[in-house]
Amino acid sequence: MELSDRELVQKCQTGEMSAFEELVSRYHQKVYMVILGLLRNREDALEVAQETFFRAYRKINSFQGGSSFYTWIYRIAVNLAIDAQRRQKRNPLDFRESMDGLLESQDEVARDPFADVHDKELRQNLTNAINDLTPEHKAVIVLRTIEGLSYKDIGEILGCSEGTVMSRLHYARKKLQDKLSAFL
Amino acid sequence: MKDCENISESMGRWLDGELSPAESESIRAHVAQCAACREAQRKLEKLQLALEGALMAESKSIEFEPFWRAVQLRIAEKRTWYEDALDWSRGLFTASRAAWAIPALIALLLAVASLESYFPGWRGGAGRNAFAAVDSIDAHGRNVALLREYDSKTTVIWLYEDQEGENETAEEPPPPGPAF
Repeated sequence: MELSDRELVQKCQTGEMSAFEELVSRYHQKVYMVILGLLRNREDALEVAQETFFRAYRKINSFQGGSSFYTWIYRIAVNLAIDAQRRQKRNPLDFRESMDGLLESQDEVARDPFADVHDKELRQNLTNAINDLTPEHKAVIVLRTIEGLSYKDIGEILGCSEGTVMSRLHYARKKLQDKLSAFL
Repeated sequence: MKDCENISESMGRWLDGELSPAESESIRAHVAQCAACREAQRKLEKLQLALEGALMAESKSIEFEPFWRAVQLRIAEKRTWYEDALDWSRGLFTASRAAWAIPALIALLLAVASLESYFPGWRGGAGRNAFAAVDSIDAHGRNVALLREYDSKTTVIWLYEDQEGENETAEEPPPPGPAF
């Protein structure tokens, strides 16, 4: 029988490394996606995702279970990604990596169910439009898109109210739609 | 037209399932008979699909094994001695054992602390490294402390100003000015 996140966290707290491994296995892709959505740089995103789980491991004993594990881990991920993004903006030359690699890798995913995503022009413009959003707006879009999280959970992760999540999401979508109007 | 503006504001929440059943039904009914709002809905859904596709496709490139090895490496590299000690002690202080283990630890510490009164000099020399202090020997706010270091057999006489005395002096009212 598959253990719940909470049970795995309890096992981690008694020092069971295999329980932590199971948590990493469950969330590494989603955490990576959230971070990639914010950073748009694969190497940096991988680095921050690994750091996220390392920090989670270090702090697992302080996790009280007041929120779900996924909101907790996403909160760590988003905070680290926003910090990394601010550092990158201070060092734009280090940060600047083209999205070509990312776009090529998407082409390799032959069974992508969303045919529209294969429109390279749309993706290129989507990437640019996302990059133009502020970290806060990117965060809500990415959390909503990837995990389908509720506004309440997103607010918990980002430390803001549901109303703020709603208005940021509305603004971010409007901004993206305006920039991509020719492709939608 | 006003309806369409309102619908446009709520369209995202509607598609996200964040509206009440009554609000959702109201929007659904409007969209069903409004071509402009259906178009807005289509665009929003297309944007959502594009975002999902772009992000999901990339996540598949992350394999678990190398990722987990990198996380393990970080954990191993950045462990500090106190984390190892904590891990070790965690085994000792499981919930079932904590009931007696904590009082036992306190009793042990108290016993060690009181050893000096029962066995003076058990640490290899009575009062080793202890300082002997002498009270103030005059009434001018000056103190004297006698410091004895046993290892080097050195005695230091330390004269110092009494801070409290200084403060009292500082707070004294200034002498009265010349009378006019």
